[in-house]
Amino acid sequence: MQQQPLINCTINGVALQVKAGSTIIEAMYENQQKIAHYCWHPGLSIAGVCRLCMVQIEGNPRLQIACNTVVTEGMKVNNTSDQVKDAAKWGLDFHLINHPLDCPICDQAGECGLQEQYMEFGKYNSEMSEKKQKKHKVVDLGPTVVLDSERCILCSRCVRFTDEVSKTHELGIFNRGDHAEIGTHAGKPLDNKYSLNTVDICPVGALTSKDFRFRQRVWFLKDSETVCNGCSTGCNVKVYFNKEGVFRVKPKRNDNINGHWMCDEGRDVYKFVNKENRMIKGHKLANGQWETELHAGAAAKDAATSLKGVSGNDIALVVTGQHTVEELEAIVSTFVNTYKTKNVYHWWNSEATASEFDGILLRGDKNPNTKGLQQVFAKHGINTKFSDLDPSKVKHLVVVGPENVPVYKDFTAKLEFFAKAANLIYMTSAKVDTLTTNKSLKSATIIPLKTYIEKSGTFINHAGVSQTFKKVTTVVSEALTVTEAAALLSGQEIKIETLNPKNLFVAANTPADQVTLDYRKKNEFTFQRGKL
Amino acid sequence: MAVMQNTSEKSKWYLPGIMTGLGITMKHMLKNIFNKKEMITLNYPEEKYEYSPRFKGNHILTVKKDGAIRCTACMLCATNCPADCIKITASEHPDPHVEKYPIAYEIDMLRCVFCGFCEEACPVDAIRLGPEWQTPGLNGANFTYDIKQLAYRPGLKGGVQSVVDDEERLKSGI
Repeated sequence: MQQQPLINCTINGVALQVKAGSTIIEAMYENQQKIAHYCWHPGLSIAGVCRLCMVQIEGNPRLQIACNTVVTEGMKVNNTSDQVKDAAKWGLDFHLINHPLDCPICDQAGECGLQEQYMEFGKYNSEMSEKKQKKHKVVDLGPTVVLDSERCILCSRCVRFTDEVSKTHELGIFNRGDHAEIGTHAGKPLDNKYSLNTVDICPVGALTSKDFRFRQRVWFLKDSETVCNGCSTGCNVKVYFNKEGVFRVKPKRNDNINGHWMCDEGRDVYKFVNKENRMIKGHKLANGQWETELHAGAAAKDAATSLKGVSGNDIALVVTGQHTVEELEAIVSTFVNTYKTKNVYHWWNSEATASEFDGILLRGDKNPNTKGLQQVFAKHGINTKFSDLDPSKVKHLVVVGPENVPVYKDFTAKLEFFAKAANLIYMTSAKVDTLTTNKSLKSATIIPLKTYIEKSGTFINHAGVSQTFKKVTTVVSEALTVTEAAALLSGQEIKIETLNPKNLFVAANTPADQVTLDYRKKNEFTFQRGKL
Repeated sequence: MAVMQNTSEKSKWYLPGIMTGLGITMKHMLKNIFNKKEMITLNYPEEKYEYSPRFKGNHILTVKKDGAIRCTACMLCATNCPADCIKITASEHPDPHVEKYPIAYEIDMLRCVFCGFCEEACPVDAIRLGPEWQTPGLNGANFTYDIKQLAYRPGLKGGVQSVVDDEERLKSGI
């Protein structure tokens, strides 16, 4: 690719080199300079309708909008002068003419563009004596999105999104003047696989997600970055969670993988992480009785006991591409080294549709780490076909089940297939009710696993890009990662990593004793507390 | 404190002092016997003192003119609460002008420190601290008050009306 020439400019007194042809707002965005804006979005075309990104250009008598002004050689720009602030202040006042005062019930409150700019540039006293224009509230745009036209500032980001990114053209701006509203055409709801991106890019609370609506105020949520495990694209995402669980998923910009967007399917992926859909306790079937309150570690140890001395063709392992490279490596090497078997099978739900791609982000392979699994198999020289697996011939079958069960269409049928084994050890993070009610099982152990947001690891996506992510939070604290389960299955103990292994209860970096007098040391407690 | 002993001749003249004291006691006793209405002492718990409406006692959730709960479930009170004792579950209201309302509003009275921050945070005058404060309970009593208790307990006689009403707000074009 040809290198684009760089040109010099000065923004807010800082000399910068930017790519020729980039606009002022792009230059500021790339260099982490703050500028007020609503309609401009780095992933969309330029509209120039909000008039908030005003900048002062030296030698130009009037203020210009930064989003539609291209940087020229030697340009001197600033957006901190009083003139610029005044322009933003008045621009904001116009935006707020018909904006309702319903921040208390607005889902966007706390991450709202209007609130942020208002705190910085707000005029605080409206010049309007007229009543506010009433528009439609709680408009059902489609299966995923709700519109509140009163809150809308007509930045047209959502319209441009459906035109340019999803190319479905559902949204438009109807009517003129202060009657202008976002809307859909009759009989054509906003229904595409990327519709919730419009909610993300809406700078105000006009578009809200039906799934997240009123479930939590955003300031009660913490966010952390991870990789989506919905499909083999491996979009970079932010998950929003609190102690009650995960509430929503939003895309994180990564130009190499997903750009600014993610699909609606990936936003539902958080649901299997929450406690109500999880396997919390270990289960064990012995003598026709299910023991349901077993600790995860104890269940894994029991399983290890039942596998003692087994090797070769008596044992088989089934894995899915839903787990991290590190975990797959741990479990596969346990089988190759401890159990001396290469009966390791790849349970791939979407092998037939794996190469499907919708042209934007969605891929047919609904496993985030199929490539990683194939690499682990290649490393250990495993070359098996899933169709060769016959559970009735294998005495002990270990299955590392998928996290995202809804994408495994033949899940129940496959569980019945696995249940033919004399001794089934099933590791899962998802609830599997069909297994505990299965009558044909003779001996079984269920080991609860952690999901992708509860562990650190690596996913290798469809293109072979390896992405490492960190643990976000813990939902089921007792559950094991596959690495831990593999260690227990191979007869090892899990070690708790401590800073100071010699004495667990003394911190490794104890600060130096600042009290030097002996009598004060003895009486320090009373000394500090005074006479009481 | 050191104890000083008064051994002077003057200290032996104690009778007049005692008589004065007994006189004051007698005066008050007679006043209370003949003018019972002005007596300051209350026969607690049969008689109770009425505190002013500004007293920061048990919470009241106000209601709208139609009797529905005023709260919009914005959770500002829960955000502001230093004792973390307010728990709200919001839901979608069928009326688009109300939009959001609480289906559950619980205050753990045992955790509450009666600071009144919830009242200050509320943008719609939905929660107030009332004059009521004597709410003892036996072992196992429920001190987690729900909407029924906070808004419609018998003492409130059908609910305290909020000063902010949706209809009025819509009419005035806010």
